[in-house]
Amino acid sequence: MTMRDRPEVVLTRHFFTSLFDFGILSDEGAESLKRVLLGALALAIAGGLLLARVFMAKYGLLAGAPPEAYLREVVADHAFLMALPMWIVAGAMSLVGHSLFPDETDFRILMAEPLSRSMVFASKLAALLLFGGLFVVGTHLGLLPLAALTLIGAAKTGSVVLAGVAFAASSLAASLFAALGIVAIHGLLVLLASRSRLLAFSGAVRSVVTGGLLLALPLVTRLPATAGAFETHAWWLAWAPPAWFVGLERWLLGDATRGMLAAQAVTATIGAAAIALFAYVRLYRRFDRVTFQSAGPVRSPRREAPLTPWSRGASVRGAVVRFVSLTIQRSVLHQGVVVGLLAGAGGLVLNSLLSADWRFAGPADDALVWTLLWVPMTVVFLSVPAIRLALSVPMDLRANWIFRMAEDVDGRAEVADASVRAVLALAVALPIALIAPLQWWVMGDGCLAVLLVEAAIGWLLVEFLMADWNRVPFTCSYIPGKGFVPQMCVKAFASYVVFTFATGLMLRASLRHQAVALVLASIFGVTAAAMRLRRARHARQTSLMFEDHVPSDVTPLRLNAD
Amino acid sequence: MLQARGLTKRYGGLLALDRVSFDLHPGEIVGYLGPNGSGKSTTVNLVVGLLEPTAGDLSLLGLRAADDPIGYKRQIGYVPEEPSLYAHLTAGEYLMLVGRLRRLPARTLQTRVPELLRLLQLQDSRYKSMTAFSKGMRQRVLVAAALLHNPRLLVLDEPFSGLDVNAGALLRTLLQMLAGEGRMILFSTHRFDMVEKLCSRVIVLSSGRIALERQVADFEQAGPDSLEETFFRATHQPDFAPLAREILDTISGQ
Repeated sequence: MTMRDRPEVVLTRHFFTSLFDFGILSDEGAESLKRVLLGALALAIAGGLLLARVFMAKYGLLAGAPPEAYLREVVADHAFLMALPMWIVAGAMSLVGHSLFPDETDFRILMAEPLSRSMVFASKLAALLLFGGLFVVGTHLGLLPLAALTLIGAAKTGSVVLAGVAFAASSLAASLFAALGIVAIHGLLVLLASRSRLLAFSGAVRSVVTGGLLLALPLVTRLPATAGAFETHAWWLAWAPPAWFVGLERWLLGDATRGMLAAQAVTATIGAAAIALFAYVRLYRRFDRVTFQSAGPVRSPRREAPLTPWSRGASVRGAVVRFVSLTIQRSVLHQGVVVGLLAGAGGLVLNSLLSADWRFAGPADDALVWTLLWVPMTVVFLSVPAIRLALSVPMDLRANWIFRMAEDVDGRAEVADASVRAVLALAVALPIALIAPLQWWVMGDGCLAVLLVEAAIGWLLVEFLMADWNRVPFTCSYIPGKGFVPQMCVKAFASYVVFTFATGLMLRASLRHQAVALVLASIFGVTAAAMRLRRARHARQTSLMFEDHVPSDVTPLRLNAD
Repeated sequence: MLQARGLTKRYGGLLALDRVSFDLHPGEIVGYLGPNGSGKSTTVNLVVGLLEPTAGDLSLLGLRAADDPIGYKRQIGYVPEEPSLYAHLTAGEYLMLVGRLRRLPARTLQTRVPELLRLLQLQDSRYKSMTAFSKGMRQRVLVAAALLHNPRLLVLDEPFSGLDVNAGALLRTLLQMLAGEGRMILFSTHRFDMVEKLCSRVIVLSSGRIALERQVADFEQAGPDSLEETFFRATHQPDFAPLAREILDTISGQ
């Protein structure tokens, strides 16, 4: 038997590949996802190089500065360089949170084979180590040029090699902590949650961790600007994990003042490792208790669900609205997608809110007002396509036959209407309602006019992006990245800049003159209503789509057609 | 009456169904038999409107599927082979979804759904999501969903799969009563005993073509195992003893 054919190797390979399988994409969709990921990787490499270029200018200036200035800056930059891999590793581990431990399917299938329990656990652990290791190594390799750049100046204060070793050890420990932290959270969950609540807790934890990570991203990007905080030993450093590991790096290089942060880093890593190990050992002994399900994780309704809500509204529209609502409430995957995407938008907003000067002089404070006019439009701009995407992720394709059999002409328009309502509620009404109290606090009663225009713009944007929508949410196969990814990114960025700038100006005018608000709201409202009518007409004439397809690369010109 | 005329279905170069024609009259239960890959599921998918034929024609109660696919499908209740349903819903929620998609009045559903759940012995599990349901329980939900709108034609693909003895007997009696009231029932299965107990006529499919069409009563007169033997002959099945011997030899390494 060759090494490749040994059961533990086969099993590890199986667990490793299944970590990349979310079970929702067709073969064509999975292929397309690979292309998208490759495109994203290319963008990340380009971003990394751009980052190196930015830092090159900074360290070029620091080359002529005294050693204290270099030390002051490098601490904050290293916090950023450690936080970025931590964020990526934690995100990757969080995405596969449902597969971190052998689950019920493994128990039922593998235990029926002549495989020992220890082999199953060891293989799962090996697959996880490979998976985590892939991201740890990948991110560190990607950031290597930048790290090398920041370390050149270390010659002024000591050995470059020692500084490099200290940085590498601390950064790898930081990524290890991030991975172990996620494993520990899920391990505790499996051990402590009751069988009936396990899936619900698991889904909630995954959503919260993903949302938290996305919200934290702007904070990560702000780390290079925190040199002052490190210099003054700011209180919040004790609550920022990347700062702990920078403390560890400095402590390894002989800076005793960072001993407390270093101790926190070591304690946290050992603690996370101990909990993760304890969870694994405990589960090893009580494998039959594990009830994670690999396929289609869903929550059970928390209480008696009445059937009355199904009777509301037009027949098909009411049914689809209720179906969407229950799917988002109970499907761990879809909830994660919605929370994750909304948290991404929230993260961007949080960043701008943190940048704003909150010591404003009153309602007329221009910078703060501008920020608060920009914020809801940014969230709406990002949330509408995000929720549209979430509705496109399929639930169980084999079950969609009931929608195919019950399709009718009026029903098509009602399906589109239900989908638009879901996007309006989650991507327009919810963000505007969440930000409205803040706007009212800063702008006073004038914000009512702004809210009116915001709602009209949001509605118009939804109608524009849902104009050709002809699928029941969660029932159509999905192929990600059907377009040319770089082109889409450029278009999206350009649209974002134009949209937020233009709507910001309109909202500012609306705040100053209520008549302008009324005119703008009327124009946008009437246009959106007209688009709604057009959408309904289009939907009636177009069959519902249940299979996504890549658009043909070749468009025939038909020059010889009659 | 359901009329299938010259039904043909090609998947690329593969001819799955080749000019299949049959009728199904009100009050009739027709057993649709065939080995795996014979085109049975393709026929069922064509009849319920989930697939469009490459050639041929389907009409139900005078309504051509090609002319009015929506009106055609409205008359049909379907129980698929796999218990594929949205398991994150409860049984009641799934039936409400199906009922509303089929445009049944809300008031009718408010009474009909709980009643069907009770009659199909699902009331104890009505507040649980169907992820926890056994195959038989899911099958019962699908049967309820197929009957919810009181269809004229019922198409059942292995409906007894996973059902326990009691639920199986209930479904058998129900189908006989539905046929007695004039419904048409197309019953696709691998089980000869069910065909003999339930159906009035049998159609046997082999390699995408009808190999045999006969009244079940003819087999009853010919004695036990007659349907099974006729099926093997009609579908050109090989002698199984040498095949079984080969499998034994393969696993014992001879």
